[in-house]
Order: sequence, then structure tokens, then C-alpha cells
Amino acid sequence: MHVHASLPDFGCKKSSAEVDKAMAVIDTKTQEKKLAVSAQRQERRQSITDILIFLVPLLFFVILLYGTLFWTVYVSFTNWRTIAPNYELTGFRWYNFLINQPRFEVDIVNNLKWLILGVVPTVVIAIFLAYFLELTPFPKVEAYIRTLILYPVAMSFIVTGTVWSWMYEPQRGVINTALRSIGIDSGFRFATNPGTATYWLILIFIWQYLGFSVIITQSSFRTTELQELIEAATMDGASRLRTLFSVIIPNIRAGLLVLVSLLLISTLKVFDIVFIVTNGGPGISTDVLALNMWVTTFQQHLVSAGAGIGVIIFLMAFILVIPYTIYAFRKWFE
Amino acid sequence: MKSNSPTVRILVIAVLVLLSIAYLMPIYVMVITSLKSLEEVNRANYLVPSTNPQWSNYVEVLLGSPSFRSQMMPRLLNSTIISVSVTALAAFFGSLGGYYLSRSRTLIARLLFILIGIALYLPYQVVIIPLSILMSRTGMNQSYGGLIFSYLILNVPLASVLMGTFFLGIPRELEEAAHVDGASRVQTFFRIIAPISMPAYASVAIIIFTQVWNEFFLALTLATRNTQTVQVVMAEAKGTTLVLYNLQMAAALVAIALPMLLFLFLGRYFVRGILAGALKG
Repeated sequence: MHVHASLPDFGCKKSSAEVDKAMAVIDTKTQEKKLAVSAQRQERRQSITDILIFLVPLLFFVILLYGTLFWTVYVSFTNWRTIAPNYELTGFRWYNFLINQPRFEVDIVNNLKWLILGVVPTVVIAIFLAYFLELTPFPKVEAYIRTLILYPVAMSFIVTGTVWSWMYEPQRGVINTALRSIGIDSGFRFATNPGTATYWLILIFIWQYLGFSVIITQSSFRTTELQELIEAATMDGASRLRTLFSVIIPNIRAGLLVLVSLLLISTLKVFDIVFIVTNGGPGISTDVLALNMWVTTFQQHLVSAGAGIGVIIFLMAFILVIPYTIYAFRKWFE
Repeated sequence: MKSNSPTVRILVIAVLVLLSIAYLMPIYVMVITSLKSLEEVNRANYLVPSTNPQWSNYVEVLLGSPSFRSQMMPRLLNSTIISVSVTALAAFFGSLGGYYLSRSRTLIARLLFILIGIALYLPYQVVIIPLSILMSRTGMNQSYGGLIFSYLILNVPLASVLMGTFFLGIPRELEEAAHVDGASRVQTFFRIIAPISMPAYASVAIIIFTQVWNEFFLALTLATRNTQTVQVVMAEAKGTTLVLYNLQMAAALVAIALPMLLFLFLGRYFVRGILAGALKG
């Protein structure tokens, strides 16, 4: 202190002023730092609230969903075959049991019929009908047809099935009665003929999903690039059909991928139509995996076997949905 | 792409006639049959309307009678309560999750999106056994809670992808401006994004409502006497009424009335919802 005191006051004062200044600078810097830290904290706190509000609810439901899925997988490897739960592991025992049932083969064949005949004709008719709606010069015709074929999307398969059961009834049904009144004895036995019953069920599905398919197909026509290509093709003198096959169809592949995926999944899951119209009959001729799963689990109480069918349906759905998921992922995060 | 050639005109007429028969006949026969007496139905003139409409058929179907024991009225109420609750909750949670998925580019968001993509159209057969165990263990199957909860698990992923598809189309500048003004993400979402997304909410709500109203597999398995839905009672009625086509058709019309009204009056939103499901937001 004494040494300092002997120093010229001026210098000392100056230096103390400088220190003050420096201190002030440091002060504001720390203050800024403190502010920055608190802002950071606030931001972090905000992002925690963000996660709590935006992510957690969705995560909760997705975890539950996958929890039940894996629970079913586990049950399929246990020995649960009465009403009372039994979680003793038995490996593939019930899968072996399932595969050796004649019913399983019938199911696989029928599910394949559904997958092919429920999807291919629907998509083909939808493409032509959508193209037709684009070509038609009468806006009222377009609006009428769109509403006409779309209304079944508001109906349940149970209602559609109830109505069509009656349409199909061989003796007193609407279709055969109407045909008879104009002098045609069709002899159609529809859903009561074991050989063809599944096809008549699939027809109900096509009827119900046609409008849905046309809407999706038509919307994939409506891109500027495609419209320009079509115009160019028309200028070059390409016929309407030629334009459809060599310009339009190759350029709506993405839309078709989505449509085909949605239809495949819907036909794979089919339960309601079969349950309400034929309940798998005559015999087991119209049985499908989903119906078999329900009967096995909830009527025969072979719960492990039922879980096994559930897992098989899921694996098939999983394979079918992969292209859709990849496409959706790319589109979403592009 | 319009064309007015004679071929197109002939095609127009052919398509009109064909589709009108295929799509109008079922609904026409439903309506006129629902108003017939059983004797009239038995005369088999299915395409000719009744001369003496029996509106009492609807009363019979709604309130039940010796020949139609499955009263529709309480089940309409059940279906309405369940579908409206699921729709409101799924649209709410789905929009929050969809907003996260549409704005976050993190690894978690990407993984979650893949998980949801797989679960989006999950066959209900692979979740039904655990759900039925959970519902009967917790006693939730005795109240609406059980079905509402089960449907929520299955519909929130779909709702979030549908809402997210719409959110992807909202320009980011809007949120950035709100951010500069000091609004947090949550505030931005509830004050700006959600209010301008009302049409999207409407579309998603219609899709979810129709889907839940029309769902059968889960309802058949999980519903108890007090929570039975319209679809389950329809299926039951078809088995017990056999040839009482007039009552069957009246019941069928009652069962589709609500979603059909939504479709007729809010068809635009319906179509937009379908297109969002096809990832065309």
C-alpha cells in the first residue's frame, strides 16, 4: 500500500480508472455470458417442453402399439390353449400345428386370391376410369361419377356385406329376381357355391374400393410435368390410348405404388366381408387368415395358435408395406 | 386433356349407365325395401317402391320389437360416444405428433417415422389378444374407456401422419417470424399453426370418425353388453332376422346415416383426407 501511495497519484488514479473500466468491460461480458447461459437454459427448457408436448404423446402410443405387437409374438411361442393364460414357452409347436391344418392351406390360397383379384382389377379399372374422367368434356358427368362411386367409402363392410348378401341370395336375392323378371334364369349361386364364392366376395370389395382408387389415381395425373408431357404427346399425334400407356402410366408410378400398397394391405386384412356374408362357408371354402385367427383364438381358445396366425398376417403385411414406407420416408425427409 | 370425339361421347353414356346401375341399385333397393311391409317384400318386386310406406320399420329397428330384438338406439349412442371421443383425442395427439414429425430432422424423428410407417395399417389381428387381456384385467371393457383407448393406440399414428402431411405444406417463414417475436414453439403451434390448420383437422377428423364408426373386428372382440357398437349389433341382427329384409335394410340405413351425412355435406374434406393418406397433402 505504501509503495503504491508513493507513486504519482495521477498514474495511480489513471490505472485505477483503467481497472474500473476493464472491470466494467469484464462485468458486462460476464453479464452477457450469464444472459447467454440463461437464454440457453431457457431454450433447453423450451425444447424439453417441446419434447414433452409434441413427441411424448405420440411416443407413448407407438410404444404401446409395439408392446402389444411383441406380446402377441411372445404368446405365439407359448403353450396357451385354454381360456386361462399359460406363458410356458413351447417354441414353434403351435406354428407346426397351424401349418399342418388343411384349413391353413385353404386360407393361404384364398388370401392370395384376395391379394391378386382384389387389387389388380381395381387398379386397372381405376386407371381407365380416372383417365376417362380427365377426358370427359362434361364437368357435371365427372362430378356425378365421382360422388356416385365414392359414397361406399362412408359405409362399413358390415352394412355393404348385409346388402350384398341379399343381392346375392340365389332364390330370393335381388339380382336373380331382377334377371328372372326380364326372362333370364342366370343360375348364379353366388356366395353359396364353394368353388366361386370367394370371387363374389372379392367383387364386393372392388365395388367398395373403386371410388377410393379413382380419387387417388386421378390426383396423380394432376402434376404440371405430366400435363405438359400429355400435351406434347397429343401435339405429336399420339392416340389417347397410346398416351395413357406410354406417357401417363410410366409417370404415375409413385401414385400407383401408394394405391397398390393400400389396397394390398386392405385385402390382406379382410375379415368383415367374409364374416358377414359367408362366415367362411360353405364349409371352409371362403375362410381367410383373419377369420381363422378370430375363430381359433376366441371360439376354440387355442390362443397361442391364434397369436401365431396374427404374427403370420403381420409378417405378410410388413413385407407388403416396406416399399410404401421407404417411399413415404424419402418423400417426408427429402 | 378434354376430348369431345364421338367415341368419348359413346363411352360417356356407356360408363354412366353401367356405374349408375352398379352403384345406385344397392342404395335404391335399400331405401325402398326399408319402407315396405314384409308381405310387400315377399312379393319380390324389389325394384318397385312401396305404395304404403311403413315408417314404423324405423321405429321398430331403433327401439326393438319381438321380431327385431337388437335395439339400435342405445348402440347408436355407444358408437357416437366412442367415435367422437377417439376422433377428438386422436386428432389432438396426432396433430402434436405430426407437427414434431414434420419439423424435426433428428434421428429419433426418422426412426419414429419408420416405426409409424409400419404400424400405420397394422392388421388388428396382431394386437387383439393383448388388448383383450388388458381390457378384461383392468375392467376397462365394461366402460367406453376400453374401446376408446384401444382405438386411440391404433389411430394416433395414422392421425399424426395425416396431420404431418398437411403441416409439411405450411411455409416455415410463418413460424420463423413468430420465433423472432419471441414466441416459443408451443405458443407458435397453438396460436398460429393449429388455427390455420382447421381444414386439415376437419379432414383428419372425418377420416378417423368414419374408420372408427365402421370398425368391426375390434368392436366384435372387445365390446361388452354395455359398449356394443352399431356394427356389432348389425352383424347380430343379420343373423337373427334372416329374411326380414325390410328391417335389415332399415337397420343398415340407420347404421350408415351419420357417416353418410358427413360424406354428403363435407365430401371435400373427405377426399382431402383420403389423398393425405396417399401422401398427397
